[in-house]
Amino acid sequence: MQPGLADRLSRALVGCHPRRWRERYREEMLDVLDQHHPTARTVASLAVSVLSTHADPAYRTAGPSRSQLRRAASWAAAITAVLAMVSGCLGYAAWSERWQLSGAGGVGAVAFGPGQRLLVTGVGGPGQNNMVTVWDIADPARPRQLSAFRGGQPTALSPDGLLVATPAPNGEPALWNIANPRQPVRIAVMPALGHQPLWGEAFSPDGQIFAAAYLDQIFLWDVANPAQPRLLGTLAAPATQANDGASIDPQDIAFSPDGRFLASATGTDHVTVWNVTDPARAARIATLASSRDIVQTLAFSSGNLLAGVTYYGTVLVFSLADRGRPALTTTISTIMPHALYPDGLLQHPDAPPCPPCSPAAYAVAFTPDGHTLTVVVDREESSVSGDPAVTIWSRDTIFTWNVASSGALSGLTTAFRKVKDDQPTLAPDGRTVADGSPDSNAVYLWTPP
Amino acid sequence: MHGKFDELGRFADPSLLILTSLADGPKHGYAIMTDVAAFSGVNMEPGTLYGALSRLERRGWVRPLASEERRRPYEITAAGQEVLAEQVKTMQQIVQVARLRTAMAWGV
Repeated sequence: MQPGLADRLSRALVGCHPRRWRERYREEMLDVLDQHHPTARTVASLAVSVLSTHADPAYRTAGPSRSQLRRAASWAAAITAVLAMVSGCLGYAAWSERWQLSGAGGVGAVAFGPGQRLLVTGVGGPGQNNMVTVWDIADPARPRQLSAFRGGQPTALSPDGLLVATPAPNGEPALWNIANPRQPVRIAVMPALGHQPLWGEAFSPDGQIFAAAYLDQIFLWDVANPAQPRLLGTLAAPATQANDGASIDPQDIAFSPDGRFLASATGTDHVTVWNVTDPARAARIATLASSRDIVQTLAFSSGNLLAGVTYYGTVLVFSLADRGRPALTTTISTIMPHALYPDGLLQHPDAPPCPPCSPAAYAVAFTPDGHTLTVVVDREESSVSGDPAVTIWSRDTIFTWNVASSGALSGLTTAFRKVKDDQPTLAPDGRTVADGSPDSNAVYLWTPP
Repeated sequence: MHGKFDELGRFADPSLLILTSLADGPKHGYAIMTDVAAFSGVNMEPGTLYGALSRLERRGWVRPLASEERRRPYEITAAGQEVLAEQVKTMQQIVQVARLRTAMAWGV
């Protein structure tokens, strides 16, 4: 129960006591409520008190006449009917909120809480029927659904695990307080300032800044007081069209672990890096070219490196050691022939990388010490029959490298897993892979050997 | 032996807590709640508190003092002190017997 509601109900219930009781105790009881923080228990205790004082002969006035009894009975019946209707509606709303949400498009957003005890998944884009689910994954073998509320992709979880950012039904970014993960409360909705869609959301590592990325701009909000977000700055990040003229969805946004940099892959063949040390005066420090291919996903290391994976599976590592001049230090375009197809076959080394085959979904992350880089390539079975009812299998190939401080990669190892899902995400440990199912509200967790 | 406290039946717990709280001096409603929570860990809700207070008052075991603005302090009466002492004696006996019997059963 929300605190405001419990407080109002408690005060209303004080007024429901018998007249003689009210004359004697009402004022001091209200004084106690002023100091107390009423909860559902307070309301229940007051409801019991109301019933027992009405039953207590000491507070009963002169015995009621027959006509008074009849009037009282009809009033009671009317009030009961109204209460039953209201509680029925509220009950249905709560039930449907929790269990009846459905999502089109499957789990597309996955965010891990601190210590990987909490997982938040977003299903579908912004819209009436999409949802965010909060899971307890303290025991990954037995995940428990704690709550679900309206939201969708993109979804971000603050580093302290207390705030979830997800689109409101109209597409504006909304903040939910999940301090009690069983009872999320929507505490703020920020106006949609950029051109839709809202495609990216991210919290800074200290949780003080929230970035909302739209088609043409990224907005930085001060969420130190999350109930009242304050706009700090606006970054121009126009998404342009790909070489073939087709419009490409912007892809990823990431803060560096020290919170000084924000990188975005805005659907062009460039990665843009801003210095956001002072968010009100954020400055673009570099636009990094990515070899005529579109960067799909990004991750910072704790040591001045930024890694990305492109649409056609090229792994890029940029060094930010020279803050004035970030530079591309590593390009590995040879991993796709090592990524298994769902049938377990390798792509022939002589075959051209992806086009015309259907491209893969990727995830990239550094381990917290910055010494290891993991890239997950998820290849989906191309549906030969075209029948969507056929179960689509895919295969995760997990590539792991040792990372030198210069950004050079070495010692490649690979692992494989057949999965019934796509959309991989890597946990903050840089090892655990979460795969969201494309057609249901399901997530699969896996740590490669 | 149990005397007057038996009459309280299922209300024994909050009443005992309130009488114990008032034993060292008068307190108003919210002060009783915080004091009880501090010494016993029981979070009494206002409905329970005032239900028990009004019964204790009717039995003459506590007495309301003059209101300070909206706050009305309550003090324990001589009869209330007597009842509390009796109840404590009973509980001590229970504790003693329980200790003996558990010690025998567990061989400590």
